[in-house]
Amino acid sequence: MLTYEPDDALAHALDPRSKLCFQVGFAIAAFSHPTPRALAALTALALAALGAARLSPRRVLFSYRFVLLLLAFAPVSAVVALQPPWLVPERMVAPALSSYRVVLVLFVAGAYVRSTPVRESRAAVQRLVPGRTGQLLGVGMGLTLRFFPLLLGDVRRIRTAMDARVGSERSVVDRAGRIAVVAIRRAFTRADRLALALRARCFSWNPTLPELRFARMDYPVTIGGLALALSALV
Amino acid sequence: MSQEYDSVELVGDSTVSQFARAVVVAALTAAFAQVSIPLPGLPAPVSFQVFAVYFAGLLLGPLWGGVALTLYLLVGVAGAPVFSNGAAGLGYALGPTGGYLLGFLVAAVLIGAIVHRRIEPRSLADVSLVVQAGALVAGLVAIYALGVPWLALSTGMGMTKAASVGMVVFVPGDLIKIIATLALVKGGHLALE
Repeated sequence: MLTYEPDDALAHALDPRSKLCFQVGFAIAAFSHPTPRALAALTALALAALGAARLSPRRVLFSYRFVLLLLAFAPVSAVVALQPPWLVPERMVAPALSSYRVVLVLFVAGAYVRSTPVRESRAAVQRLVPGRTGQLLGVGMGLTLRFFPLLLGDVRRIRTAMDARVGSERSVVDRAGRIAVVAIRRAFTRADRLALALRARCFSWNPTLPELRFARMDYPVTIGGLALALSALV
Repeated sequence: MSQEYDSVELVGDSTVSQFARAVVVAALTAAFAQVSIPLPGLPAPVSFQVFAVYFAGLLLGPLWGGVALTLYLLVGVAGAPVFSNGAAGLGYALGPTGGYLLGFLVAAVLIGAIVHRRIEPRSLADVSLVVQAGALVAGLVAIYALGVPWLALSTGMGMTKAASVGMVVFVPGDLIKIIATLALVKGGHLALE
């Protein structure tokens, strides 16, 4: 799966805030101009973003293969007609363009995912969202990331334990409910321990964050993102 | 840049415990997104993710339920593989199924607001089962009300086609999950205080 990988590529050196700005600007531009010419220009830009993150397009396509199936369904199903002529290729154009712009957004987002560790995104969120909301969201993101593998392990163990006790013979409603309730109970036990640990460690509204600083390359990337976002108004 | 070196300002006790619960529910939403039960005779497997959305609304209330789902979305956009099939990134969140993700957040807030009618969650035993059933159905409607038009818009397929691909095949599984959740509430299994 696509995830953060340490590297010394250009995208890795950028500030997460400028990358976020570029990503959002790119998405706005792609969704507001689904024309062949605009999409051709955006394709070049998306490939440049992939290059900056040293990520191959094929890897992005492979890791989002389930999304691609759904994206391919729209143009393919638009071609088939219920009466003769059975195939109408020209009806494919509009859905294909709509689907293609999503692929471009996946490319740029893939470049972000490979070049940005979650703790940097977390620092960016905490800086961009003002006040205590930003603090809680920032700390929450870090903790959620740590608890995800633990709870996934919990859920898998619950299923294994259930299968070992011939739980698969029970009705689906019963099975689903049992797994869900045991999972939430264990999760809340973990939450109580987490709350205790946070209080014991003086969980405060003003902890120290990793430092973020704009380098020279961040300014053109941020301006590019803003320009792309504003292009929606043209 | 903007480091803080002021004196420490502690977070209040009740906020800490609600916050810790919101964090684990966010992580549970991510874990449930990776798990499903295949059903013979049904077109789509029963995914567990909606359970986490229901629990967020029912157990945490509108504010902290909303925080839980916001954390889930933020972590996913930041690049952690928490969306279905281990996907991540803003591209996935804006992709064809992004409407459902936003729908989860709206549903958690809506369920919390209908069931608790205030910020602090009340005991589920004090709320009638009919209200809770109505809240879960309203949440489900919100998920599809955002998910299906988004699917139609992002792929360019018509609304009817989007509804058949993105809603009709999942409804039997969704009814099973609502019934299972209500059975848990009725049996007192969700009295976790």
